[in-house]
Amino acid sequence: MKIFAVLLALLAMLSIPARADEAPLLAELVKAGTLPPEAERLPKEPRVMTIDEATGRTVGKRGGTIRTLMSEQGDLRLMTVYGYARLVAYNRSIEMEPDILLGYENDKNRVFTFHLRPGHKWSDGTPFTAEDFRYQWEDILTDKDMERGGLDSALLVNGKGPKFEVIDDLTVRYTWEEPNPLFLPALASARPLDIYSASAYLKQFHAKYADPDKLAAEVAKERVKDWTRLNIRKSRSYRFENPDLPTLQPWQNKTYSPANRYVFERNPYYHRVDQNGAQLPYVDQIVINIAESSIIPAKTGSGESDLQERYLSFADYTFLKEGEKRNNYTVRLWTVGKGAAVALYPNLNTNDAGWRALFRDARFRRALSLGIDRTQINQVLFMGLAKEGASTVLPGSPLFRDELGSAYAEYDPEKANALLDEIGLKRNAAGIRLMPDGRPLDLIIESTGESSLEADVLELVTSDWADLGVKLLTRTSQRDIFRSRVAAGETNMSVWAGVDNGAPTADFSPQEFVPTDPYQLQWPMWGTYVSTQGDAGQKVDDPAAQKLVDLYKQWLVSEDIETRKKIWEEILDIHADQVFSIGIVTATLVPVVVSNKLHNVPAEGISSFDPYGYFGVYEMDAFWMD
Amino acid sequence: MTLPANATRLPHTVSDQPFDPDAIYKYTDAQKALFEASQLRLMWWKFRRHKPALISGIFLAVLYFSILISELLAPYNLETRNSSHIYAPPQAIHLFHNGEFIGPFVYGFDYKLNMENLKREYVPNLEKVQPLRFFCSGEKYKFWGLFEASFRFVCPAEKGTMFLLGTDRLGRDVLSRIIYGARISLTIGLLGVGVSLVLGIVIGGMAGYYGGLFDVLSQRLIEVIQSLPSIPLWLALAAILPITWSPIVVYFGITVILGLLDWTGLARTVRSKLLALREEDYVSAAQVMGASSRRIVFRHLIPGFASHLIATATIAIPTMILGETTLSFLGLGLRAPITSWGVLLTEAQNINAVALYPWLLWPVLPVILVVLAYNFFGDGLRDAADPYK
Repeated sequence: MKIFAVLLALLAMLSIPARADEAPLLAELVKAGTLPPEAERLPKEPRVMTIDEATGRTVGKRGGTIRTLMSEQGDLRLMTVYGYARLVAYNRSIEMEPDILLGYENDKNRVFTFHLRPGHKWSDGTPFTAEDFRYQWEDILTDKDMERGGLDSALLVNGKGPKFEVIDDLTVRYTWEEPNPLFLPALASARPLDIYSASAYLKQFHAKYADPDKLAAEVAKERVKDWTRLNIRKSRSYRFENPDLPTLQPWQNKTYSPANRYVFERNPYYHRVDQNGAQLPYVDQIVINIAESSIIPAKTGSGESDLQERYLSFADYTFLKEGEKRNNYTVRLWTVGKGAAVALYPNLNTNDAGWRALFRDARFRRALSLGIDRTQINQVLFMGLAKEGASTVLPGSPLFRDELGSAYAEYDPEKANALLDEIGLKRNAAGIRLMPDGRPLDLIIESTGESSLEADVLELVTSDWADLGVKLLTRTSQRDIFRSRVAAGETNMSVWAGVDNGAPTADFSPQEFVPTDPYQLQWPMWGTYVSTQGDAGQKVDDPAAQKLVDLYKQWLVSEDIETRKKIWEEILDIHADQVFSIGIVTATLVPVVVSNKLHNVPAEGISSFDPYGYFGVYEMDAFWMD
Repeated sequence: MTLPANATRLPHTVSDQPFDPDAIYKYTDAQKALFEASQLRLMWWKFRRHKPALISGIFLAVLYFSILISELLAPYNLETRNSSHIYAPPQAIHLFHNGEFIGPFVYGFDYKLNMENLKREYVPNLEKVQPLRFFCSGEKYKFWGLFEASFRFVCPAEKGTMFLLGTDRLGRDVLSRIIYGARISLTIGLLGVGVSLVLGIVIGGMAGYYGGLFDVLSQRLIEVIQSLPSIPLWLALAAILPITWSPIVVYFGITVILGLLDWTGLARTVRSKLLALREEDYVSAAQVMGASSRRIVFRHLIPGFASHLIATATIAIPTMILGETTLSFLGLGLRAPITSWGVLLTEAQNINAVALYPWLLWPVLPVILVVLAYNFFGDGLRDAADPYK
């Protein structure tokens, strides 16, 4: 019966003197009177960031531009990830703290009360209040016209959504009957759950508020089917595609699509300040140049990016290092935070009955895993700097145990062959094994073809598996097609990375290890089934997978850390034993190129989408340029 | 030239009366040799004088012969990986060690991983003299996939290495891969051109000689085929080839695709040439003598523009080779484990290859040489085959 109460007192005690100087980009506007001075723009109680020696950082000066490279308009969403302003956010030790919120109360994961910062404003200067939550909840999330297909799974407990209340102008409350431990992590996620939106701006695109004629004119102008589509198009805050949509992130997009160069400018109403009271972010502008992803390493090496992690791979390290002196940057090596850099996923829900039967046989999956010479792959592709092992959590996680990583991960072709013989897969004259229905074991692995690393790994696995009598073929398709083909059961095996959050604690949801999501590559149909409460997909009909679902349900309602830890351990044990995905190498390194003029970027870090948000938890708003 | 309805065609007659060509003028032996020489011999005499064409011809002949015995020529197998020599630079061949002649040899490498920039550094160790072995027993291979053997013309020293053009990211010898790649790259052109030559001559020939409905239909078909944008069409056709086909079948599929798309231009030229030539007097003469259409087309008309056909064909072959290289480079054509020069270039398609491992770009050289050689060769052949020159 613990109540997590995060108190506001700490912030209130620190009275920060407002600063007279302005960020260079805004100084002119303030002088001209088109923008109020900084003290009036900040919330009454801004979030004070401590930028000091303890985190290896220095207080910076404001101004300057960070140039970076992306490959398409869709990558603009990374600015939401990098910016990482969330209602609640993780710090660099992955502990949750209120960020946009002044504070919150959490009663046994059932009742969540959020307190907003008085005086907090959107980037266009309109106030950020409980109305923005009410609008999103009543007029978007639960509005019948919006046809959203139900609430997000993080808002549902046993299929039931929360009760939403506005307590006062700055306080809202969400109440569930049963515990919902997924709610706060979803808000802190790299891709946040949208429970608020810029209602003052968006009401002009909502039939309930807008003038019907104006709305119809807008619908016609945007060439969309109806006002709901218009509303969706205008309100996608994660994608950063609508420059008119107010934001709470440190930088806002100022460029309309399509473009080859996107300029993000500082949000004048941003809620964080450094300990000296200077409003963050330090950097005025982020300029994103769009380039073909395959030439981004080349452009980075010639100094066209001040901060780059996207589209660089370990194989580029040597090349990037050569340009260090000439182009005044430093290459750092961050650890990839995924559970495995490359993992193979047998599709247990494939439409092909022969393959499905084989994949459901744990001996087959174990044999495939035992037949991979991971040491060679590590040596050839990573110079031995990565770690070999199964797809599980990273050694940095408190849940990691050696036996999890080494389960069926040693190279033992004899044992693998013995297992395949035991299943009864006989070899033909060419040495290829035959499936029980007589077809040769031509195993097609689907790939998005996005990373050359995957192709190289597959090439090495191909020759390893040839010794087992399994013939590996690769087919590449574009990522969306890849995902939908896997989800439809049209694929037999796919290659992708391991779990996104490679270093969880027991407080993190084990959902990535359990059938919970239609996009899981090893059991898409089961994932659909569990996430839709049985409305779609296929019933989980494998005892080990069903056990995972049961354990996950227990985790959802468990309240003390010891039980959660036990559940996590059991889930990971099942994975190690069942080899639901075949991990190959983990803890790989990825180069991060940082201009020597850019400060406060950590020398070492974890590169991961969730929960780190790449630069997000390293507080990109505190990076500064000379 | 229509005949009266009740008329029948005369049989094709050639007089069998004795004929003395020397009756009017007595030729010298030299003149006789010249005048009595066959068309092929005349072509050869002319061709011989075209030095670049002759050299190119010999070069191509040598290359085509090499693909018969790739296994014997290559020092390593196609897929042999040497994981302790990844991205090794080319090893130079030396003859003298410390001023002493010991025949062709390479210096072995000392390997060090530079921890500063994680670069694999290979330094030739002047102590490690590794003489090449000739007519030796090297790594085992399956000759044309038929029987096992180990004889090679040249092998690395025992426990030594011999990477004359360096190695790739998996430690495979680039030279050996180029030698094996020639098998695919050189023949894909021939097969493709064969298909397009046959289609072009037959369809173009019939359209030109008969005219009428067949001409109209074939010309419209050609227009349709030519109006299809080629790269998207390749994309579509390459995507149709099922992934489970063995690479060799895919290879034939690509060849046929290239050939099926390429005949249209040739058919057009054949047709227009025939349209012009069939009005010539000697064609009328042959018709009057009762020669069949087939005989007229193949005996009298085609030799009239054989020079043109030859030029087209020899220039089409390098186009096919480039086409295959382009397709493979785009990832649509051949794919590993089939190894062609285009596939090898695909693997060198990144900034690292250009900046750090330039030897991976070596497959460009044979592509350029072969294309140039075919162009010179075709040039010489056309001059030689042109009866009007």
